Amino acid sequence: MTGSKQNLVEKILYHVEKPGRYVGGEHNQIVKDWETVTTKWCLIFPDIYDIGQTNLGLSMLYQILNADDNILAERSFAPWVDMEDELRKNEIALFSLESKRPLSDFDILGFTLPYESIYTNCLNILDLANIPMLSSQRTESDPLVIGGGQACFNPEPIADFFDAFVIGEGEEVILEISAAFRTWKQAKLSRIDLFTALAKIDGVYVPSLYSVNYNPDGTIIDITPNHQGVPEKVTKRIVSVLPSHPTKFLVPNVEIVHDRMSVEIMRGCTRGCRFCHAGMVNRPVRQRNVSDIIPVIQEAVDATGYDEVGLLSLSSSDHTQILDLTRQVYDCFHDQKLAFSLPSLRIESFSLDLMDELKELKPGGGFTLAPEAATERMRAVINKPLDDEDFYNTVTQIFENGWRSLKLYYMIGLPTETMEDVDAILQAGIKVQQIGKRLIGKSVKIHLGIATLIPKPHTPFQWLPVERPEPIQEKLDFLKTGTRKAGIKMSYNVPDSTLLESWLSRGDRRLNRVIFHAWQNGAKFDAWGERDNLQIWRNAFSEADIDPDFYSYRQRDLEEILPWDHIDIGVNKQFLKRDYNWSLQGRTRVDCRETCFMCGILDTFGEDRPSDGFGYWGCP
Amino acid sequence: MNDTPIRYRMKYSKTGNLRFIGHLDTQVMFERALRRTRLPLRYTQGFNKRIRLNLASALPLGFISSTEMLDFWLNEPVEEQFILQMLENALPAEIHVLEVNQTDSSLPSLQGSLTSSEYEITLPAYIESELFQQKIERLLAQPDVPVTRRNKTIDYKPLILEYELRNDSSDNSVVYFKLSSTPTGNARPDTILELLGIDPADCVIERTRLNFSTVEN
Repeated sequence: MTGSKQNLVEKILYHVEKPGRYVGGEHNQIVKDWETVTTKWCLIFPDIYDIGQTNLGLSMLYQILNADDNILAERSFAPWVDMEDELRKNEIALFSLESKRPLSDFDILGFTLPYESIYTNCLNILDLANIPMLSSQRTESDPLVIGGGQACFNPEPIADFFDAFVIGEGEEVILEISAAFRTWKQAKLSRIDLFTALAKIDGVYVPSLYSVNYNPDGTIIDITPNHQGVPEKVTKRIVSVLPSHPTKFLVPNVEIVHDRMSVEIMRGCTRGCRFCHAGMVNRPVRQRNVSDIIPVIQEAVDATGYDEVGLLSLSSSDHTQILDLTRQVYDCFHDQKLAFSLPSLRIESFSLDLMDELKELKPGGGFTLAPEAATERMRAVINKPLDDEDFYNTVTQIFENGWRSLKLYYMIGLPTETMEDVDAILQAGIKVQQIGKRLIGKSVKIHLGIATLIPKPHTPFQWLPVERPEPIQEKLDFLKTGTRKAGIKMSYNVPDSTLLESWLSRGDRRLNRVIFHAWQNGAKFDAWGERDNLQIWRNAFSEADIDPDFYSYRQRDLEEILPWDHIDIGVNKQFLKRDYNWSLQGRTRVDCRETCFMCGILDTFGEDRPSDGFGYWGCP
Repeated sequence: MNDTPIRYRMKYSKTGNLRFIGHLDTQVMFERALRRTRLPLRYTQGFNKRIRLNLASALPLGFISSTEMLDFWLNEPVEEQFILQMLENALPAEIHVLEVNQTDSSLPSLQGSLTSSEYEITLPAYIESELFQQKIERLLAQPDVPVTRRNKTIDYKPLILEYELRNDSSDNSVVYFKLSSTPTGNARPDTILELLGIDPADCVIERTRLNFSTVEN
């Protein structure tokens, strides 16, 4: 950035809310000499700094890239609307936090895409950086634009805006992308040469190298490579053993959401809940050993000064050393005044001993459980079986151990759901409240969190329609009335945001036009739910002449080619179909550590499975 | 644990991008930096234990400073130069630790004994020193200078203790202010600039000195 631009930026920072979001300079920030590296990445989290900075995936990639002497990685985030106005008014291109250089100066822009409602922000960021928005409009002098993250296991709705996607885990593949980019740049070849080189890397999907044909009814005839040497399917990338954990986290200088450090103790889940996207796309299970976790926590605390640590996984209590972990965490850190959180505890793998340990780790905090459904029948449909007696016993123990507030997560809009199932949620809340009142007294706080099912790609529910807003609203109203009467707190997803997420997550390539029109008409920060964006989106669908109901309310045929069928998560479609049918029959599957249901993970990745006892994934 | 904690006073500067970090965030930054030093920190008692830490005065967002001060407490004595080095390593580069001194525990708090603050303001090139002189003289010629903040009106005139125009060698003029900083009469230099019709965002405002009733600095 030139001196006068720099002065201008400093001036506008006086006039925006929380300017610390835009200046970097955090402890542990890495600033490299721009001239001495060959490949320059800017890692972009397309939401505001407050939301994105502590994202663990971003921290991991930042460390891995910067550990390479030939590479630098800086960061950028979506500016909040006040800063965007100032940038546009003063014609300042969006810049990175470290060197304050415009994004167009970088070689590669790596967007983190953890959820779909962030897509319009990606377009806005490219626009604020004066970079052509469509891959087809960009040239050799523009940065390579890459996306990766949980949302882009269906990359099709945003395929036109990105040059390539990383499908799956990025720890290894980003260095391979860097190397391919470096070779290409030195050879001074054209963009198509870069694309075909990238498409040869396992786990990299280059959407422009594939063509999609549609039937008159809008369904897909086929998705096929349009270039030689491009694989028909892109198989996701995994690391067979979790690599060493980052510890030198950047410490934000301004207060942000989730202002604590996170340590990933396990990746993947063996439970197989049928609604759960994360449980399907993140297979297999890989654990970190307690003897590795403890030093990571110590190093990270020393490097950051944080006093709160989140131990992350999809299902903490399924870690085979969980009790040992909580004991050692207590022994090593209780005199360092650290608070720990251990989210995602499964009721059935949750022991009294573990509860004792947790009480020590975070006194005074609330407790959270996620039964997801309240009747035995419905729990069989979603494959999250749970004995009512076990549930109420656990609840009793939670109150007996002194917790005074309990949050319970449930879902509505599940297949075959009746009002009886919905009423059961309310009744469960009331019964839990009664147990709490008996053991704790009137001060007990019960909170119901109600989510609406969005049948996600790559799950056994992927063929199902989303339930329409009218019955969803009816169910929500019923629960709202009931919880208000009982003095139970309730939070829920508004039907509008459910609908938007269903379009963006279940769409095909035609959605690109819709997203573009929505952005043009002012949609951004769709995840915030504060702005009334749904009408903008409906208008965008009509401008693109596309029926949104096609993506949300249509029961898809089991034989239909789905927009994401060429993206292979290692779990095969046959397995998902069988599981879908079992769901309709109310048939459950046990945890797949007990019996292998041949989901396909071992067929795809089995050769890489480590042979030692602990690292042997969850698979029998 | 030693039951009589030892008080240390640190003098530091805050410059560059860190001027966009506000007072409460700065306090958290110091708490985390102190934790990173692994010094034998004294915590407050009670349910939510926090590091015992006391900043002299809130530095408004956007100001730089060559002279901020804070007190913190340790459970046992540590050599001052060692503390200074540990803190310097643990803090972001744009905070520079100038001094660390063990301080008498019985002295009143920094906040409670602050009397006045001194500032140097680099004016934008379009405000020449003569123009500034006219503006400030016109302002102070009035019988009082009412400023309303949070529904409370105070007279700024007696709070402006001293001012002086200093000609910088560059194109920009520098103006010096000494302003009252007591709980009942606290004046901000950016407010004075606004009264004069100058956008504070166009100026560099540096706090150069804090004056206390009990401290020699």
